Amino acid sequence: MASTTLFRCRRIITMDPNRPEATHVAVREGRILAVGDADCVWPDQEVVLDDRLADTVLMPGFVEGHAHMMAGAMWRYAYVGYHDRIDPEGVLHKGMTDIADVIERLRGHEAGLPEGQPLVAWGFDPIFIEGDRLGRAHLDRISATRPIVVLFSNFHLMCANSAALALAGYDRHSNIEGVVKGSDGAPTGELQEMAAMFPVMRRTGIDFRALTQRPDVIETYAEVCRRAGVTTATDLFAEMEEGDVDTLLRVTGQPGFGLRLVPALGAAGGEPRRIAERALALKAQSTDKLRLGAVKLMTDGSIQGWTARVKWPGYVGGQPNGLWNTPPDQIFALCAAMQRHGVQMHIHVNGDEASDVSLAALEAAARAHPWPGARHVLQHCQMMGADQFRRCAQLGVCANIFANHIWYFGDQHAALTIGEDRAQRMDAARSALDEGVWIAIHSDAPVTPMGPLFTAWCAVNRTTMSGRVLGAAQRITVGEALYAITLGAAYTLGLDGEIGSIETGKIADFAILGEDPTLVAPEAIRDVPVLGTVSGGEVHLL
Amino acid sequence: MTRLPLSVVGGYLGAGKTTLINRLLSEDHGLRLMVLVNDFGAINIDAALLASADEDTIALTNGCVCCTMGADLFMAVGDVLDRAPRPDHLIIEASGIADPAAIANVARAEPELSYAGIVTVVDAGQIGGLLGDAQIAPQIRQQIGVADLVVLTKTEGVPGEVADLLAPLHPRAPVLLGGGRVAPLLLDVVPMGQRVMPSGHPAYTSWHCACPQMRDRAALQDKLEGRPGGIWRIKGLVQTGDGMIEVQVVGANCELRAVAGGQARGLVALGLADRVTLAEIEGWWSGT
Repeated sequence: MASTTLFRCRRIITMDPNRPEATHVAVREGRILAVGDADCVWPDQEVVLDDRLADTVLMPGFVEGHAHMMAGAMWRYAYVGYHDRIDPEGVLHKGMTDIADVIERLRGHEAGLPEGQPLVAWGFDPIFIEGDRLGRAHLDRISATRPIVVLFSNFHLMCANSAALALAGYDRHSNIEGVVKGSDGAPTGELQEMAAMFPVMRRTGIDFRALTQRPDVIETYAEVCRRAGVTTATDLFAEMEEGDVDTLLRVTGQPGFGLRLVPALGAAGGEPRRIAERALALKAQSTDKLRLGAVKLMTDGSIQGWTARVKWPGYVGGQPNGLWNTPPDQIFALCAAMQRHGVQMHIHVNGDEASDVSLAALEAAARAHPWPGARHVLQHCQMMGADQFRRCAQLGVCANIFANHIWYFGDQHAALTIGEDRAQRMDAARSALDEGVWIAIHSDAPVTPMGPLFTAWCAVNRTTMSGRVLGAAQRITVGEALYAITLGAAYTLGLDGEIGSIETGKIADFAILGEDPTLVAPEAIRDVPVLGTVSGGEVHLL
Repeated sequence: MTRLPLSVVGGYLGAGKTTLINRLLSEDHGLRLMVLVNDFGAINIDAALLASADEDTIALTNGCVCCTMGADLFMAVGDVLDRAPRPDHLIIEASGIADPAAIANVARAEPELSYAGIVTVVDAGQIGGLLGDAQIAPQIRQQIGVADLVVLTKTEGVPGEVADLLAPLHPRAPVLLGGGRVAPLLLDVVPMGQRVMPSGHPAYTSWHCACPQMRDRAALQDKLEGRPGGIWRIKGLVQTGDGMIEVQVVGANCELRAVAGGQARGLVALGLADRVTLAEIEGWWSGT
């Protein structure tokens, strides 16, 4: 007979209203046998008491409903971002606030590299850096011979040193769109968009495909999740080409793999019906730790890149409206086909015109092929107002809101993109809840770091980097935010029957915390230490 | 190493991009093609050409069709360049909403590629609606504006209203996708290093100059800039006082590049017969 482990904890926050708090949880065969006090297990059961978590606070394992597997793999490169970040090994990398910092940090990395190996860095964002724009001359101070490449955080731009530019043959004679030149006629080192970046990437061994789906990448992603207390995470836009699924099945099926992974197939290009059939074929291969079958639709770009599709009056700087990645009639065709075949969709919508079109497509699909339990999810939802959330509620469409943007880009949105009044109502979690929408909140890692407690802090406080509160009316309570990172997010993945709360019968997925987030000040939720996770009953302490 | 010519086929969903590619694959052009598409669905391969097929690749007796998309597209271009032997020509089908110039620009950036043009396919019946749709019209106008050649499908002639819509967007009148060969529009019919004349198809005017010489690079540039507007393609190596210069003209795009060594192999030009005559080309080249 299988053994039962009884975990004793300082406190257990269950997210189950029938028993909001407990001190003990019994686990058998990876599932929760009972929750309560020391006597919660019924008599005649053989129980092994596990005291390793006695000083900790347990919560349901956090669920990250919108992130990308790349979040782990990027750490093979040197980090040069503005914000502090913690790598998968738990090392804190202080943010770099000016170019001198960036050069200093890269010098350190350069010293440790074998001769001839290019130095690649990631996470740089000029929107936060005052003064000179990063250029070839800065990077040449690190090395005149070793190729050096700095990828910007949006992956649309990079800066290369002279040695790297020479590999691609870029010089003052180059007349190529995206190879930026200075007033002296020579390339500045900045390369814009893939076409101009590609020759340098090819010669410095940067291949984006190597940042997803490979065994070491999947394992590193699980590490990133463990450090954030996340036991279930999405990979929203997976190509899942031939062989990738076998790799995913093998790695996630290894004993001790501590993450439930939910990849969504990228639905771009191709006939909608065939994409739906592929998603259904993938779904049939799902396992306990690998949940397949959903798809991800792209619609518009990003607000801070001025590529999101925004309704009137558009961008405050007079920039033209953004770009569709999928045109509206194709969004309609995809929604109709997925709904008809019973495939759940995660739909990327940043601008309010993109969410408007997507809701119209979902309304049409719902009329043509009724499916009450579809639980399609609008992702990011950054400019949706109460009117659009009401339409979500009517349709049973969920909203996964990009709360981290308030802190990371809120000041920029108010000053540069959509202006003060629309920035105040961005990422409107309060409106969504008031209208009865099932919500989750997310990091979009690696765009911002994965950390559901930080994401909850953003939604609760709505503080920006400059320290102001952006849109106090849209703040939600601590309880609502904790729900959004557990059961709420689980609901958006159709997994709320299995995970998201600590109650008898569910999978034993827990976040192990150093303090109780319901007892600390709301301003301090982000500082609650994550000590590890329990995944399927297995303890993974940091 | 020989540079790999890259052509991009753009145009909205349903415009007829795949039709154009299917036609190209079935024509006898003698080249090994590599075609990157974002959907296999409508690719229709003549059984006689089909060698083998799996989920992501269709191998042909005269090339290969691969399915790829998104950012991975550029990585796939890297794979094509690493192939041994390399194909003779690379064709990329842009997705229905993509800016074909954002893809074709890689042919100018990457030293091992050469730019062979953007062909944007326009459905004569669909274009009015698309340009009238405020949500997507800007991206459709962009697709047409960046084209070296606009190919009109699903029509027998060029309807007046379509001509009026396209005129402000593109300086050249669109070409009809009629029954003639499409290979000369998309492919480099004279691979460098081979003295192959363009096909003698009556739909095309072709011209060849065996050993062109020019005073210097600037004079060559000036000459090419004054070329007859009906010329679609010029290619070759020209001896100048500044050394050997490689010429690549596609539509409105004109590229000169100094090459080390090499032997003058002449210059060839090609245009649609109803756009340019041999006399016009000869008059231009021999004129001062």
